[in-house]
Amino acid sequence: MSKLKVAFFDFACCEGCQLQVYNLEEEILDLLEIVEPVEWREAMSDQSDDYDVAIIEGSITRVEDEEHLKAIRKNAKTLIALGACATIGGINKIKNNFEMQDVRKYVYGKDANMPHLDTYPTKAVNEVVKTDYMVHGCPINIKEFSYIVRSLAIGKEPKIPNYPVCVECKMKENVCRFEYGEICLGPIIRAGCDAKCPSNGMWCFGCRGLVDDPNVNAAKDVMAEYGKTLDDLLGKMLLFGNKQEY
Amino acid sequence: MKIKKLDKAAFGKWVNSCIENQRVYGVQAKEDRFVFAPLVSAKDLRLDHDVTILPPKKYFLPPQETLLKFDRKEGFESVFDDEPFVLFGVHPYDMVAISQTDKLFAENHYDTHYFKRRQKATIVASDVQNASKDVFAGCMGTATVNDGFDILITKIDSYYLVDIRTKKGRALAKTIKDAEDADDMSLKLRKLVWADNTELLQKHKLHVRPEVLPRVLDRSYEHPVWEENAQRCYSCGSCNLVCPTCYCFDVRDDVEWNLQKGRRYRVWDGCLLAEFAAVAGGHNFRRNRADRYRHRYYRKGKYVPEKIGEVACVGCGRCITACTAKIANPVEVYNKLVDEGK
Repeated sequence: MSKLKVAFFDFACCEGCQLQVYNLEEEILDLLEIVEPVEWREAMSDQSDDYDVAIIEGSITRVEDEEHLKAIRKNAKTLIALGACATIGGINKIKNNFEMQDVRKYVYGKDANMPHLDTYPTKAVNEVVKTDYMVHGCPINIKEFSYIVRSLAIGKEPKIPNYPVCVECKMKENVCRFEYGEICLGPIIRAGCDAKCPSNGMWCFGCRGLVDDPNVNAAKDVMAEYGKTLDDLLGKMLLFGNKQEY
Repeated sequence: MKIKKLDKAAFGKWVNSCIENQRVYGVQAKEDRFVFAPLVSAKDLRLDHDVTILPPKKYFLPPQETLLKFDRKEGFESVFDDEPFVLFGVHPYDMVAISQTDKLFAENHYDTHYFKRRQKATIVASDVQNASKDVFAGCMGTATVNDGFDILITKIDSYYLVDIRTKKGRALAKTIKDAEDADDMSLKLRKLVWADNTELLQKHKLHVRPEVLPRVLDRSYEHPVWEENAQRCYSCGSCNLVCPTCYCFDVRDDVEWNLQKGRRYRVWDGCLLAEFAAVAGGHNFRRNRADRYRHRYYRKGKYVPEKIGEVACVGCGRCITACTAKIANPVEVYNKLVDEGK
């Protein structure tokens, strides 16, 4: 069987999700048995336009990024969004709450009007091009990434959870964060992380994005049960939940 | 039937002797709640617990378990876990739930993976000492239990009555020392505990006897309560996952990096989850939240009773506590149907 040619591309992000792939450590050799990386900035200096699978990290924040991504889409048979910045826009979407000129000034100061800093409201990868698969999370769950790669290698459709984090949290037998008077985004956020944050004493921050059909109205209603307000809920959504479509 | 009376010291010694001899899981504190977990010392055992977050079903039907290992060229081999173990502190309502699951998993397709574990388990049930905030076992006839377990413990004043019922129970009780046989007074007091528990474990009161529920549901399929409550349903499946009588699972495959060998495993599923009833071709039999929400109450109150003659809600109240939207109280739902039908 010939190996899948894979290229990694990164846009606006910390490149931490690529780093998770190296964190496979000795398993990375197994990965290289079934894929042949042809471009992977963090790992090698080669570049190529000849690939089967494009793995896109980061969000799209400039016109030139958008054009680059469209060109990648044309080259790739399969396109995978890697990590929250790519799948939902991630924390980069915080800026979408502000005027772009203010954002440019605040971040770049006197260079705000330089052409290469011409930032626009953040888009997730699938807001620009058709995205075949999403590896959610900030950072990604490397076990899920591995499972997706292996599934694609044998021509099988990977199954990505479309149920809330509560499912995995219950399986871990965690005390529900709501019982501690906290707002946890678990009930509306896609599982697949093994409920890492609630299992370690924190609420769900929502990095994997909303489930396909989140009951956001319920989330609003339910706040009153816990003596919380809609603003409290929206406050929790600020980190990862900005301008997400549902 | 043999019933022993042990003081606290003798009881602790016996539990520790069990731990020395085999794998023992017992109820212990976890933060502000209780869970079944591997027991390393009798001092950690909390038979005064009100309710555990998950029911003991997790030991018979684990949240995730490998069913078989396969090789794409050479076929497959089933994987079983059949190391003996002891469960300490199973409340009566959970015992009833286990007995129900025994019936359902033996019906039609005998679930070998489940029964391998079940047969190797010694269950030490324990009468409830403290009622949880949402328990309603008293209404469901499950505040006390008379069969299914191997040993039943009842705390009376500073003593434990240890009621040994089965061969497995006798084997486990062999290491009991410094115990006398239970006297008539202790047995009378035990009956009082049972009567009290039937009264006390009714934090929510069902307005009908549970046997009536299938008939109530017969006329309630179009009731507005399903749509009303489902508007607040997250479809998070918490009510399913913490339920001692929910047993649905999904079966998945994963290959290793060699792309030849792999495993087939099952994971807990829940009928409230959006894709629970999704099938090939993208069809979903219960696409609407309200359909899924209604299904759970029909399952507990009608479909399972039609199979085994018992209502599949044992009144543990875990779903009430676990539902952050506060729509999962079976007593409220059933009472609404009962009262409005009068």
